[in-house]
Formats: sequence, structure tokens, C-alpha cells
Amino acid sequence: MNLKNSIVFLLLYASCMSVTGQKDSITVLDEVVLTDIRLLHFADAKKVETLTPSVLTRNGNSLTDLLRFNSSIYLKENGRGMLATPSFRGTGASQTAVVWNGININSQLTGQVDFNTLVPRNYGNVSMRSGGGSVQFGSGAIGGSIHLNDVFNFEEHSRNELALTLGSFDTKSANYKLSVGHEKMAAGLGINYINSENDYAYLDTDKKNENGAFETASINANIGYHLSEGHLLKLYHHTFLGNRDFSGTLTAPSNANYIDINSRNLLEWDHFKNRNIGRLKLAYLYEKYRYYPNKQRDEYSSGNTKSLLFDYDYKVQYKEFIVNALLVYTHSAATGNAITSTKRNTWATTLLMKHNLGEKVTYGIGLRKEFVSDFESPLVYSAHAKFELGKHYEMYVNGSKNYRIPTFNDIYWQFDAGSRGNPEVRPESAWQVEIGQRFIGNKYRFECTAFYIASDDLIQWRPDAMGIWMPVNVNRAENYGVEVSLNLSEKWGKHQLAFNNSYAYTHAKDIISDQFLMYSPRHKFTSNLTYSFGKWEFFHQLFFNDRVFITSDNSDSLSSYTVSNLGFGRGFDVGEKLKTHAQVQMDNLFNKNYQNVAYLPMPGRHITLRLTMNL
Amino acid sequence: MQRFLIAILTLSALILGCSSDDDSITISREETYRNGILVTNEGPFNAGSGTVTFISDDFTVVEESIFKKKNAEDLGNIVQSIGFEGDRAYIVVNNSHSIQVVDRFTFNSVALINEGLENPRFFTVSNGKGYVTNWGDPADEADDFIAVINLETNTVTQTIPVVLGPETITANNDFVYVAHEGGFGQNNQVSVIDSSIDKVLKTLTVGDFPNSLYWDAHGTLWVLSGGAPAYTGTETPGVLSKINVNDNTIETSFDFSNTQHPANLCGEGNSLYYSLGDGVYAFSSGDATVPNEAYITNVSFYAMTVNRGKLYGSDAKDFASKGDLHVYDLMTKDLIESVQVGLVPGGIYFN
Repeated sequence: MNLKNSIVFLLLYASCMSVTGQKDSITVLDEVVLTDIRLLHFADAKKVETLTPSVLTRNGNSLTDLLRFNSSIYLKENGRGMLATPSFRGTGASQTAVVWNGININSQLTGQVDFNTLVPRNYGNVSMRSGGGSVQFGSGAIGGSIHLNDVFNFEEHSRNELALTLGSFDTKSANYKLSVGHEKMAAGLGINYINSENDYAYLDTDKKNENGAFETASINANIGYHLSEGHLLKLYHHTFLGNRDFSGTLTAPSNANYIDINSRNLLEWDHFKNRNIGRLKLAYLYEKYRYYPNKQRDEYSSGNTKSLLFDYDYKVQYKEFIVNALLVYTHSAATGNAITSTKRNTWATTLLMKHNLGEKVTYGIGLRKEFVSDFESPLVYSAHAKFELGKHYEMYVNGSKNYRIPTFNDIYWQFDAGSRGNPEVRPESAWQVEIGQRFIGNKYRFECTAFYIASDDLIQWRPDAMGIWMPVNVNRAENYGVEVSLNLSEKWGKHQLAFNNSYAYTHAKDIISDQFLMYSPRHKFTSNLTYSFGKWEFFHQLFFNDRVFITSDNSDSLSSYTVSNLGFGRGFDVGEKLKTHAQVQMDNLFNKNYQNVAYLPMPGRHITLRLTMNL
Repeated sequence: MQRFLIAILTLSALILGCSSDDDSITISREETYRNGILVTNEGPFNAGSGTVTFISDDFTVVEESIFKKKNAEDLGNIVQSIGFEGDRAYIVVNNSHSIQVVDRFTFNSVALINEGLENPRFFTVSNGKGYVTNWGDPADEADDFIAVINLETNTVTQTIPVVLGPETITANNDFVYVAHEGGFGQNNQVSVIDSSIDKVLKTLTVGDFPNSLYWDAHGTLWVLSGGAPAYTGTETPGVLSKINVNDNTIETSFDFSNTQHPANLCGEGNSLYYSLGDGVYAFSSGDATVPNEAYITNVSFYAMTVNRGKLYGSDAKDFASKGDLHVYDLMTKDLIESVQVGLVPGGIYFN
């Protein structure tokens, strides 16, 4: 039950079988209920891993923790709970697209998403799609994309869940989830609150995390309603509120505070007939931050962006063909103390096609062209093919051209704090190919993927001759590597065992300087073992990060480390309806003194008690 | 074998080097860092520690992170500069808000001053007291100050409020001169502090962004201002100002052309040097105009200084990798030595 298999299977098999029409395992209704059919129909010749609710519960308070322990993605966290960004296959933080219910939510200011602002336990599932995806998901999907999906359940049901935790460093959290539905309507609500003093001791020193307290709240709400035969209306909402002090480093104290608000709203109208689906989406995204360099004082720097998005998506299925056309208009506006009011209009057109050649082979192509008001955006394309070579074996190959457009900060940052934007900066571009194979059985799943990415015009902030920092297209990089994952499960009687492992080898080099890219480990390994017996559950999880270079000439590095967590819990039924579950989790079991970012020590051994009540 | 040979050669060079030193200075065995160059490396911004690199005069010995080596601890974040007095070196660590006081020849720690400083920048000595420029809180344009340090107790005894953005600082026995480059903002002042009463006597208006100070052989103080670059909205030219320290007035000013923004004023006796664009320019204290032609071309330095007929310039590269120190012979203008130093080499000093 703790395997991600079930949903992955569903996605993988459903996608090819819906084309062959032999075993129509999903109906058009099921397909409409899914938010993002690009993941369903156009990602089967790629590496996609989906994490299901049981995994989301364990590391569910932040996307950072979730991916650190459950994926090959390398996470860079500036101290526990602080800003955190991902690196997919050795690419940078702004080369990962975060896609919320089908909408790209990367910050218009920085191009990044802070993974400590996303609470995975409140989503139906979280998918990691490795490799380039700019054709489908736009700017920034170079290393890969993370998909946060709400799931609608149109069955007669009503479920409440309240989870309370108490942990080290005065950390408290509360999470409430509600899911109700019947044939015509489905609704979900998730509320999460975390508060932590976060004053953990820096191991082997007499110092502690002096300025690391944080308080965050987030709300997810969604509702789906069948208007009539062939018409479904969906509304999604997400708000995150963060108030975090920013940790100082071992050598530089901090008195900074950061307040941010993210709000995302999406209205979707689906109309469908036979296997053809039209989706009209209207979205409004809002982000705002305030940074207080000294929280005792009133001065702050700030920025905010508002984006309005109109998206029409039509999918036609005819015999062995699926064609999906998308038209997206985005209007973004940004203001801030270092950015004068700036606007950007983008028209994006995308065409995706997939064809089933017989029963064993599918292939597809994709094209995307964007028209951006303030510069030229390249035509990007992709091609993919998948071969089912046996009952339990398939292989796939894909290639794509991807890009990342400069952010508002890159272009419009006015001179402030010794840096400024550069109107001359060009979009980054990247070529990539990927080849993979999967063995899938009832109790196992093995996947092995090799990739190659060649990036050009990488944007980097550097000082000019006057010492003013500004973004320039300086770097060319070459990344290649292998990712392997092995998931096993076994069940006998009341016993269940799940064993999920991943390993990634990544070679990421700046090919101009011939040096390895900073903060890109060569090896990453994760392992999760879960054993349950009746109402008891035990788990152990660990990840290994290889050493990373922290200077561009590779003269200095951070040591490698392994961190593991151990937990056990037991369910208790109280009366007929109320089910409770009590759990103890010990994080950093071996009290490893490690730094994820230089001079920002991470916490030693700490404990979390969790009580979950289901009604 | 080769390694052995190199060791022998190095050793013999050292022995020869020592024995040819017929000054009567007795070099105690601990004074590892006498007769050499000290380079301060700012280190990575925010997350990390700066370092000091020692390079022997003959370039045969290069030692990185000498403070850490001697004291088994980090210097702190953003090693900004060093000031000297007697046998002491005062290492100013900007983002750790502290000054490490060390023996300048052994680099053993003597004291840590970490009270009463906020974003300290540069250190000088006048009238037996230390003076340190401090930005205060960069967000507050009115809290900038000079910290006065008792060199016996190594404590801040007094603060002198000054105008925005005090940066480089220098002194004679009576007055302390502070160039106000402007911190994160912009300024065009030089404060004159009377070190007998520790009060600001007057402020002189020079060019925008005064960035460096130099005493010539006549005891005249020169102030080089970079001028405001184009991004400020109002571009102004660089200015070289000559200050008469008898009455603390500006005697002469030399204007550069509007788009010229010089920096790194340094020199030897009455020969002054500064950097401008990708060249180093030479100026004599008696010259009537600033030169049009570069003295050395195609060089660009992060920090620059002159000593005993040689020009020392640092290259900070991409600010995320180890920098270099380049040494030019000022007579022949030839590059005679390049040495790898630490991350963001921002200061060059001579022991």
C-alpha cells in the first residue's frame, strides 16, 4: 500500500491502452477528472514517478523533505525550513518547472519556486517528470518538472482527517483535510499550519540556529461540479503564507526576516464528447514578498507579481491518433522597490500528437512557439517513442529542445544593492535526449534511464567591469548521467513490505571552464523501507548526497553525507468511526553533522510525534 | 625524485635568502610571515569565511588560509581589509561585524573585537588610537559611524557619527581622513576628524564615490573619486583631489572626462597610479593634468597596489573561484609573476 506503483501503473498503462482501445481502463470521465492530461497522454515515453498519499504523509510538510528522501532530485536548503530549491539532473534551480494543476507556477521574479512553500500532503499526488518538457510546460522545464495535482473523487463519500504533530525545536504543526463528494460534486479542503522556533544546535560547536524561527500556513481548496452531461466545472485554490526569519551562517549572523504570500486560483470548464475533450482555464496567480534585512527596523525590500492566464486546450482522439492543441495567453505584471511597474504578455501555442503504431509501439511529436512581448522566444520541439517489448518490459526514447526565458529580475532589476538587470540577456536553451527502460511486474518495478543535456546561453549573475552584478549569458554546460530506481513490494498475511530505492549518477560540467557545476552531487542515493504488520508500521528512510563543489573552479567542496530517519506507529480504532494513528519519527537518526549549503549546518537528531485522527 | 629535487632547491633558496639578509633583524622561528605579501580574500558572500594568503617576497612560498592554520578557526564572513600598527595586524571582517587582532608576523590571534562594530570596513591609527569605518545598518543612511578603538584593551571606546557610507580611511598623527563612498547609496564627502578630541572637524566635498586615498612624499593627501556611473541616472566624471592637510582644504582638483570612472589610487613616493577601464595610469604629484594614455594596458584588477617598483593587482575572476595575484615590473611593464590566492582577493599588503 505504500508503493507508488498503483498510480504509476495506472498512468503508464492507461495512457497506452486508451489509445489501443483494447482495454478501455479509463473512461473519458476519469480522464476529464484528471487535471493535467499532458502527464497522462504525452509522458509515457519519459521517466515519470508519482508519489502517492501514503508517502506524502511521511515527509508531507514540505516538498523539500519529500523529494530529498524519495527522488533523485538534489535539494539545496538554506537551513531547515528556509528557502529551498531543487536541482534536476545537475541543472539549476530555475530550470525546474513546478506545475500546479497543469499551470506553471514558477516565480515571475526569480524563475524559481521555494520548495518549502509547498505542502505535499494536501495534494492528491505529486509527480516528478524528469527531463525537458518546455514544449508542454513552457519556460524552465529543462531539468524536469514537478507536478502537484489535486484529485477529485466523484463517489459518495465524506472523510475528515486531523493530524497534529509536536517535535524538537519547539515545532508544532496541524493539518486538516476534508474530502466530500457524490456523483455530481466533489470537494476537497486542506489546511496546514507549522510553527517552529527552529533553534537547533549546530553540532560540534557551541552555536545554535539563532535566527531561524518560522511560521507558515497554507490552504488548498478545490471543488468539481458536473453541470450537465459532458460539462464539468472545477475550481482550485491555493494560498501560502510564510513568515520566516532567515538563518545566519556559521560566520555571519543574521537578523533578517522574510514574509511571502502566494495565491493561486484556477477555474476550469471541461466539455467532452466521445473521446474529445475541450478545457477552458482561467487562472490568477499572485506572489508577493517582503524582505527585512533587519527585522527590528522598518525598512524592507519587496516585490510582487500578478499573472492572469487564459488557456484553451483541445484534445481529439481519432482511431490511433491523439492530437492535443493548446493556446495560452499570459499577462504578467511586476512591481517592487527595485522593479518599476513592468508588464509582459505571452502567447503560447502548442501542438502535441501521438500515434499508436500497432500494439507495441507508440510515438509522438510536439511543437511550441511562444510570442513574448519583450523578446524573441525560440521554437521548441520534442519527439518520443515507446516500445513494449514484452509483457513486463518496455523501453522509451525521447529528445527535445527546451528553453528558459529571463525573469523580470534578470531584465528589469534596477540598480539596487550593487546589482542590476540586463535588458540584453537572452533566453537559455537546452537540448536533451533520454533513453530508458522499465521492467514492471506485480511486485516490482525497475527503471533505468540515461540522459544527456547540452545547455547554452546559461544565465549567470556576475560582476561587470565596474563591479556591478548583472545577469549575462555566459555558460555552456553538459550534463549526462544515469538514474536507476527499484521498487519492490511483498505481502503475506498481515505482513506488508515495501522497499523503494533510487540512485542517480550525474556528471554536470561547465564546458567553457571544464569545471564541475557547483552544488551538483555526482552520486545521490535514496532508500525507503516500510514494513507493516496489522496496525503496526515501521519505516526507515535514508538519502546520500555526494560531496558538492561550492566554488566554480572546484577548489572547495562540502563533504558527502547520509541522513536517515526511523519511525514507527500504530493505529487505534476508537468506536465505530473514529480511527486514530500514533507515530514517532526520529529524524537524522545517527546525529550526522552536515551542511546542505556551505556554512549553514542542518539539525542533528530530532524527534516528531504525530497523532492522526480520521473520521 | 623530482619532488625531492624541488624540496632541495626550495630549501637552498630559503637558506640563501636568509643568509643574504645582512640586516641585523633576527628572524625568530615563529615569525613565519615576515618578508612577504599578505592578500585578504573576502570569501564567499554570506555563507563562508574569508582568508588571508601569505606569499613570500621571492614568491617561493605561498600559504593559504594562514589565520585558520595558526588559530584553527575561521576569520569570518567577508574579510574586508587589514590595518597595521606596530607588530599588530587588525583584520576587519565586514559581515561578521568583527576585527581579529593578530601578531602580523606570526598570525597568532591576540584579541577579537566583536562589540561596538556594525559592518566595519577599514582601519587606521592616529594619536595612538584605532579608527574603523562602519556602515552601521545598510538600510539606515543616518547611523554610519567611526569606531574608536583602545589599542591596549582592544575595545571600542567611542563612536563618532559621520555622514553616509564611510569607506577607506587614513590618518596622520593629528587628523583622520574618511572617504565616504556611500555604502549601498552614493556620497561625495571626505570627513576630517581631529584625533585629539575625536570629533569631526569638517567635511570636504570631493567627486562622487570617493574610493581611494594616498599620501605622497610631501605629506599631501590625494583622494580619488570614481564619479557616478551611468546607471545612477546622472553620470558624473571621476575627480582626483589634492588635499592640503595643513588647513584641510582642497588645493586642486583634476577632472576626468564624463564617462571615465577611475579607482584604486595607490603609489610610491610622488608617483601615483590608478586603474581606469582596462588600463593602469601613472600620474606624478607635480603633473598639471591627468594622463590620456594608459601606462599599462589590457589589465583589469579587483584590487591594486604598488610597492618597491612593482605593481600588484588581483583578479577576482567570477567571484566564485580562487583569484590570482599578478605582479608587474613598473619599469619594464612586464608581468613577472602570477600566484593563485583565495576567493575574491580584495586587499594586498606588505609585511
